[in-house]
Amino acid sequence: MSALIDLLTSGIVQRVALGAALLGAIAGMLGAFAVLRRQSLLGDALAHAALPGVCLGFLIAGARDLGSILAGAFFTGALAALCMMLITRTTRLKTDAALGIVLSVFFAVGVVLLTHVQARGGAASAGLGSFLFGQAAAILPGDLWLMGGIGALALGLVLGLWKEMKLVSFDPDFARAQGWPVTAIEALMTVMVALAIVLGLQLVGVVLMVALLIAPAAAARQWTRSLGGMVAVSAAIGAASGLGGALVSAGTRGLATGPVVVLIASAVVLVSLMVAPGRGVLWQALAARRARARIGEARVLAAMQGLAQAHGDPAYATERGMLETALGGAPEPARLTALEKRGLIRPVTHAPETTPHWELTEAGHAEATRSEKGRAP
Amino acid sequence: MPVDAPLDPALHEPQFALHVEDLTVSYGATPALWDIDLDIPPGVMAAIIGPNGSGKSTLLKTALGLVKPVAGHVRFLGFPVAQMRGRIGYVPQRQAVDWDFPTTARDVVEMGLYRSLGWFRRPGRAARARAMAALAELGMQDYAERQISQLSGGQQQRVFLARALVQEAPILILDEPMAGVDAATEAVIFDLLKRLRDQGRTVIVVHHDLTTVQSHFDWLVIMNVRVIAQGPVAQVYTPENLRAAYGRHLAMIAAPPAPPPPAPPDPSLDETTPLP
Repeated sequence: MSALIDLLTSGIVQRVALGAALLGAIAGMLGAFAVLRRQSLLGDALAHAALPGVCLGFLIAGARDLGSILAGAFFTGALAALCMMLITRTTRLKTDAALGIVLSVFFAVGVVLLTHVQARGGAASAGLGSFLFGQAAAILPGDLWLMGGIGALALGLVLGLWKEMKLVSFDPDFARAQGWPVTAIEALMTVMVALAIVLGLQLVGVVLMVALLIAPAAAARQWTRSLGGMVAVSAAIGAASGLGGALVSAGTRGLATGPVVVLIASAVVLVSLMVAPGRGVLWQALAARRARARIGEARVLAAMQGLAQAHGDPAYATERGMLETALGGAPEPARLTALEKRGLIRPVTHAPETTPHWELTEAGHAEATRSEKGRAP
Repeated sequence: MPVDAPLDPALHEPQFALHVEDLTVSYGATPALWDIDLDIPPGVMAAIIGPNGSGKSTLLKTALGLVKPVAGHVRFLGFPVAQMRGRIGYVPQRQAVDWDFPTTARDVVEMGLYRSLGWFRRPGRAARARAMAALAELGMQDYAERQISQLSGGQQQRVFLARALVQEAPILILDEPMAGVDAATEAVIFDLLKRLRDQGRTVIVVHHDLTTVQSHFDWLVIMNVRVIAQGPVAQVYTPENLRAAYGRHLAMIAAPPAPPPPAPPDPSLDETTPLP
């Protein structure tokens, strides 16, 4: 317990936790729009393309100055986005191929520059490699202010331009036909995603940053029915993953923060994909099972009512074998038990036969008639 | 917009709801639209027909300013489209959007009002009431709060139409509104479009089903990259014009003016395949 308190009162842990939570919230909020606009992979390309910018920023500033490094990252990210646009507009390549090319070329240039800078030596260049996978402990109080500022800006833009962003994300052609400056709004959203990525470079690194954009949004989509809900839940999942990752890695020796944050967010995605009501895989399997059971039960009822009508006896005792023949196979015992429990059929004896028999109750007749009608087109 | 309203001489061809002149659009080297000259008078229900890939959707998108032409110009009631934004209702093809977007039918219809709200302002109670009224016109009032992903294709198309309807625009442009919808929805949509036409609005529909052209439309444009014929349906819907657009498979299609018998399936003409 005291270890936990030590952990929570440690300045650096607080700083990392707050930074990771802020970053998660910003990335989650903006990532929701990126995912809905099918721009998830653009985020990945932007993140990888930031690496050469990081090295250039370092080379130009001559020191590990965060401002110039982030500016460089933002610059090469924007350059990559521009290249992708040019490739898709002027060649026959589709978006995915353009993304793949741009991502790998920029990342390769980044790695070449990185090894070059590191080979030149100098103490200052040592930390540059941490931009690959992030180094949360390197976060400074000033960085938190920067994150907070950009977070507030992003929140303000999302709230202010809410309906515009919603319209452009859902139906850009219609938005254009209504006269909205769709390209400008789309560019604004992409720039904000790029800002979030640049913010996350230090913490999570260029390789894993995209997970923080996509994972919270993908998980949030499972649980919500409105855009507002999705953006809010996505931001919350991002923040919780950041906080959780920071605390787990602080409490355990030798666990890097960034990857742990990403793993936690991914675990949330996995759980959401499985169990979310309405959309989860398990939920849908259960719903399909219930539907199958209902149909099976309805068939039993219909067969029994048919037999009762054929005999002119509403309380006609149906033998199991008759049901099997009528249904073209044995009804699952569970179906019969369920129908008994619902009070739609009741077991009866039919001397001198000793085999099990059932008759329809009044409720059973009503249910059979009702579901027969329901099946009419 | 009455036809005999006094016309502003500063406008270009204001007597037409839609006036297209010398319009050419090309993707790469092949023209998608070639030298299109087109006039649709106000107050008609016009169909634009042509085989697959004949540029029907491109024509609409270019007219709306979504695709840049390499040559030519477009006017709506004499105005360039930029000045007519609020007075044109647009119904894009249904599959142009992601129907898994987390939102409700009413929310989508309210998008039709965003322009009149202007920047930053959110739709309020008045917008909600208008959206509900538009949904009700299409028999969709019970589905207002339904997730759009849970609507059938026909219901989704009705939502799209309601979104254009709520704008109360004098000109309505629809891109394949009957593609992949059920018969009931088709009847509802035709019924609504006719009512709008009878109110004096202009309805322009890119259409794929030749069997319903004669019975539902009063103006017809037949095209295949170029305009082949245009004018009142009775004059334009001729075997020669259709053959010019669709080629030799046309023996199967209804010969005017007899009511169209059901066409036997012909893969080369099959544009009606419902979407998955």
